[in-house]
Amino acid sequence: MSAVIVLRQMLRDRTRSTIWWSVAMIALVVAVGASYPTIKASAGGLEDLMESMPEGLGELLGAAGGITSPVGYLNSQFYSNMFPILLLVFGIGIASWSVAGAEREGTLEPLLANPVRRSRVALGRYAGLVLLLAVVVVVTTLVLIALRGPFQLSEISVANLVAAGVASFLLALLFATITYAVGAATGRKGLAAALGGGLAAATYVVFGLGSFVSALESVRWLSPWYWFLEPSPLVDGWTLASIALPLLVIVPAVALGTVWFTRRDLR
Amino acid sequence: MTAPAIEIRALNKRFGRLTAVDSLDLTVSSGEVYGLLGPNGAGKTTTIRCLLGFLNPTAGDVILLADHPSSVAVRRRVGYVAGDVTFDRHLKVRDLLAWYGDLRGGVPWARPATLCERLALDPTRKVGELSTGNRRKVAIVQAFMHDPDVLILDEPTAGLDPLLQRNVLDMVRERRQAGAAVLFSSHLLPEVENIADRVGILRLGRLIREDAMANLRNIARQRLEIRFAGDVPAAAFEGVAGISGVQWNGRTVHVVVEGSVATLIKRLADFEVERLVTHDEDLEDIFFAYYGNGGEDQ
Repeated sequence: MSAVIVLRQMLRDRTRSTIWWSVAMIALVVAVGASYPTIKASAGGLEDLMESMPEGLGELLGAAGGITSPVGYLNSQFYSNMFPILLLVFGIGIASWSVAGAEREGTLEPLLANPVRRSRVALGRYAGLVLLLAVVVVVTTLVLIALRGPFQLSEISVANLVAAGVASFLLALLFATITYAVGAATGRKGLAAALGGGLAAATYVVFGLGSFVSALESVRWLSPWYWFLEPSPLVDGWTLASIALPLLVIVPAVALGTVWFTRRDLR
Repeated sequence: MTAPAIEIRALNKRFGRLTAVDSLDLTVSSGEVYGLLGPNGAGKTTTIRCLLGFLNPTAGDVILLADHPSSVAVRRRVGYVAGDVTFDRHLKVRDLLAWYGDLRGGVPWARPATLCERLALDPTRKVGELSTGNRRKVAIVQAFMHDPDVLILDEPTAGLDPLLQRNVLDMVRERRQAGAAVLFSSHLLPEVENIADRVGILRLGRLIREDAMANLRNIARQRLEIRFAGDVPAAAFEGVAGISGVQWNGRTVHVVVEGSVATLIKRLADFEVERLVTHDEDLEDIFFAYYGNGGEDQ
């Protein structure tokens, strides 16, 4: 019950910012989607350009499947960069505040003086992170599904767009969860955000460069971006790697961070 | 015999190499106000944060209402005013109090509303717009609104004007009357003097003296500044009990008196006194014997 009260307050506090984030995401997805018919029309020239690029560079740009097919276009322009990166910024911001940020601003201690367990406060706020991130993903995915006809993207099934949405959500949640867990365990907001964001960037580089830097190729499978994009949910729908592997990181990280938080000194 | 509401046994708290609290024993019974005195950095806040379960003791035990401080059942009966008051800035006072009330199982709004009125706090304002003093009022309202059986107050009146200070002290007295145990920390003796039944003096994490307020008064030093209308012979205060450190500056004299000032006042009656000022804010001055050289060897 107390976790719900903490969650409800968090959702109330963040309604406005979540609306703004959703609006920005809708603007992004509409801009990307609305450009597709034009790209499709000039397909020939663009494909030639892609052909002339060294092997691997296409993948680095998130365009292994070419950039003029609906799947290749959405992957290269949306799912392999802008969308998950913005979700990450949104998620890590909330995650770093949830425990460590609140602790640093001084609002966590008075909250914990109430008859509420530390674990309930932490998990209530983690639930808030999950919900807010989900809202932004759902809104964006719904807009994309609704407009896929006019955007000439109907070749991609609704089920696969949903699968890609869920996979993006889990990718962003994975790094946000690391931020949450580090913040809960240490009370250091800066460290938590840096680790979450840094790990996202590092694994992105490993994934992107791994396709043509042989030294990185052997560790490419470790990158959550690899789980997310190869094979792409836009093509293969619900892939085990994009759903199960993030959960394998998320669940233990939440548990560890929360337990650690209940045992340590507040800062 | 019932167990004391607050019981601290051999508490030790270290942060790395720094020992913030050292073998502290302290109990507060129901219906008692305990004044925890000490300058900044003496370990008052660390002790209090252990009492609320924010810090884990390095050694020793902290027991609240015969239970562990992090127990939810205990927290229900505890009210806490932090020394450093920070609430969510974007919230209106009313919304913050309602939220905290919900976490306490639902406190009817009438209760905090009355307290806000009593402290002249406008509940429709946002926390972030409030002055330090007004934020402290929010802390006081949320600590008192559920009529707690244990009050833990870390310098609760700092930043409040004298009238409101008196209001807060009255609220504390009412809770004591109702049987609550109160731990009242302060670095100002006069404040604690008016409210505490017993006082403990903390220095560098150790309780260097604990006594009934009445007994402490006898060892407290007072620094007085007396200004005379006319010339007074320099030897006027010779032989006055407890007096020391007489310093003349024209027609003004600074003296330090240990214990009662009764003899000094009688002697002063022989002269025409224009002004009498006490400088008793500084704890280290007041309990010189404990904070000065005397503090090291007990």
